[in-house]
Amino acid sequence: MDQKRLLAAIAISVGIMLVFDVWNRTHAPTPAPQTTASAPATPSAPPAPTTAATPGDTVASTATPRAEAQRVQIENPRVSGSVSARGLMLDTLILTTYRETVQPGSLPVQLLAPRGRPEGYFAQWGWTAADGRTRVPDSDTDFTVTGGPLAPGRDVTFTWENGQGLTFRAVMSLDENYMVTVRQSVQNAGTEQVSVLPWARIRRERTPHVAGYYVLHEGYVGVLNGRLTEITYANGKKEGEGRAGLASQVESPDGWAGFTDKYWLTALMPADNGTRLTHALRHVTDSGTDRWQADMAPPAAQQIAPGATGELATRLFAGAKEVALLDSYQSRLNIRDFDKAVDFGWFYFITKPFFYAIDWLFHATGNFGISILVFTFALKLAFFPLANRAYHSMAKMKALGPKMQELKERYKDDPTNLQKEMMGLYKAEKVNPASGCLPILLQIPVFFSLYKVLFVTIEMRHAPFFGWIRDLSAPDPTNLFTAFGLIPWDAPAFLHMPAWALIMGVTMFIQQKLNPQPPDPIQAKIFAWMPVIFTFMLASFPAGLIIYWAWNNLLSVAQQWWIMRGDRAKKSAAA
Amino acid sequence: MSFARLNPRANPGVMALKGAVRTYQYTLRPFIGAHCRHWPSCSEYALEALDTHGAIKGTALTAWRILRCNPWNRGGYDPVPPART
Repeated sequence: MDQKRLLAAIAISVGIMLVFDVWNRTHAPTPAPQTTASAPATPSAPPAPTTAATPGDTVASTATPRAEAQRVQIENPRVSGSVSARGLMLDTLILTTYRETVQPGSLPVQLLAPRGRPEGYFAQWGWTAADGRTRVPDSDTDFTVTGGPLAPGRDVTFTWENGQGLTFRAVMSLDENYMVTVRQSVQNAGTEQVSVLPWARIRRERTPHVAGYYVLHEGYVGVLNGRLTEITYANGKKEGEGRAGLASQVESPDGWAGFTDKYWLTALMPADNGTRLTHALRHVTDSGTDRWQADMAPPAAQQIAPGATGELATRLFAGAKEVALLDSYQSRLNIRDFDKAVDFGWFYFITKPFFYAIDWLFHATGNFGISILVFTFALKLAFFPLANRAYHSMAKMKALGPKMQELKERYKDDPTNLQKEMMGLYKAEKVNPASGCLPILLQIPVFFSLYKVLFVTIEMRHAPFFGWIRDLSAPDPTNLFTAFGLIPWDAPAFLHMPAWALIMGVTMFIQQKLNPQPPDPIQAKIFAWMPVIFTFMLASFPAGLIIYWAWNNLLSVAQQWWIMRGDRAKKSAAA
Repeated sequence: MSFARLNPRANPGVMALKGAVRTYQYTLRPFIGAHCRHWPSCSEYALEALDTHGAIKGTALTAWRILRCNPWNRGGYDPVPPART
C-alpha cells in the first residue's frame, strides 16, 4: 500500500514538472518593447581574468559629446546594416530575407543592434596593450575608413595611428551570405618592441527571450577542440559566479563559438585552421541587466619588433542557421562541425539524414507540411513488418480476453498461480503476447529524431499549411475557449486549446483504445488520462509538431485497422 | 559491492535506477503501450533484479532481458534468477 502511494507521488510530481514547463514558457517575460530613446547605458566589458584578455571600455562613459560616428554601410543579397567606424563595431545587421511575422508588411529580422539600446547586440574587433604602455584604440576611437560600402568583393579598411609609430588596421570583407572576415594587423614603425593582444568579441546587452523548451538549446554554443559546448544563459551565470563572470574558457586550434537563438547564430572563429585561439564566455550584471560576451583572442600577446607587423585573421558568422549554408561553410572554409550550430542533439546521426530527406521532399512538393506527412508515412511503412507482427498478436490477445478474465477470477488471491496459468494459456493457444520491448525501444529514437528535426530547423519557420495554419513553427492560432473566434474574448494563455490539438487528442484516444492496457490499475488510470494530458501539454507547441503527432496517431490506427480487417477476413474464410 | 550485497535496497545507485524505471512506468509506458512478451514484464523484471542483485548485475540482467524481448524469442514466464547465498 505504501509503495502504491509512493508511485502515485512520483506520477504526480512528474505531472507537475510537465505542467510547470508549460507554465514557464507561457509566462516567461516578453522582451521589453524597443525604445530607441532610452538613456545610453554605460556597458562595461566584463572584466577579464588576466590583464590581457578583454578591452577596457571605461573611456566610453567619460567621452564628451562628439559628432555622430562615421558608418560604413553593409549590403549583400541577404543582409543590410552598417559598421561603426567609432570603436570598429558591426552593430546593425538586418536579415533582409526573413520577416518577423507572417503578417504582410512585417519588418525584416534585425539580428544586431547598437550598444546603448536594450536589445544591443554587436561584434567588435580591437587590441589590448599587454605591456601596459602601448596606446591602443578603444570603443571611442574613430578609425579612418578607406573604401565602402562593404559588399561582396569590395573590402573596407579601417586604420588608426597611435602617435607612437604604430598603425592599427582592420580589413573587413563580406561574402554573399552571412560571413564577415576581418584581418587585423599592427604595423610597428617605431623604435621599440611592443606587446599587443588582438581580439574579437560579440557583446549581448541582455539575456534574450528564450523559447525555453527542453529539446532546444539557446545560449552559448561552439565546437572547440572537436567538442560541442553548449551553455545556457542560466548555467553561464552560475558558472561565472566566483570567477569574475568567466563562465567558460577554452583554447582550441580550430572550431567556432558564439550565441545561438532558435534560428539565428553569431559566432567567431579563426580564418585559418591551426591559429590557436582562446574562446571565452563572460557574464556581468550591469545596472540590473545581464550582459554577455563571447570573445576570442590568441593565448598570448603578440610581440611586435620594430619594422615588423603582427596579424590576426578571424571570421564572424551572423545570420540564419540554414543547414545547407552551414554545411557549405563547413566544407568550403574548413570550419569544424559548423552544422552542429543547429541543435540536432544526441541522435545527430539520425536527425541530420532525416532533415535532408524532409528538405528534399519540401523542394519536391513545395509545402513543408506535406513533406512532413509524406516522410512520416514513409517511416511508418519502414516499420510496418514489425508493427504487423505486434498487432496480429494483439488481436489474438483480445480474442483470449474472456478466458483471461475467467482465470483472473479464479486466482484472485493467488497471483503466482495466476501468472503461471496465464503463461500456460499462451502456450496452449500458441500466441505471442506482444512484439516485445526491444523493437519498441528501437523505434523511440527514430520518432523522437523526427520530432527534434521539426523543432529545430529554420526551414519550418513561416511555412504555411492548409486552412488557418499560416506558420507551422508557431502555435495554432485557433482557440476552443473563444469558440474559434466567435466569442470576442482575450483568453489567458493557459486556456489556449487550438483545433489541431483537439484533433491530436482524439486520434491519440482512438489509438490507445486499440492498445493493450497496462496491468497495474494506477498505470491504467494514467494511461486513460494520457490523451487529455497531452492535448493540454502540446496546445502551445508549434502547429507543425501537433500535426505530425496527429498524423502519426492516425497512421497507427489505420495500420491496425487494416491488419485487423485482414485477420477477420482470414477467420471468416476458415469458418 | 559488498554494501550492495548486504542490502541492495538501500544502495543509492539502486535507488536512482529504480527511480528511473518507475518514472518510465508512469510516463512513457502508458504513452507507448506495454508490449512485453514476458512475465514479469521487462520493467518489473528490472525492479526485481535491482533489488536482488544490486545496481551492476541488476542492470546487466535487465539489458540482457530487453535484448531477448523481441519477436524471435518465445517469451513467457521468465523470473529473475535468485541471489546466490
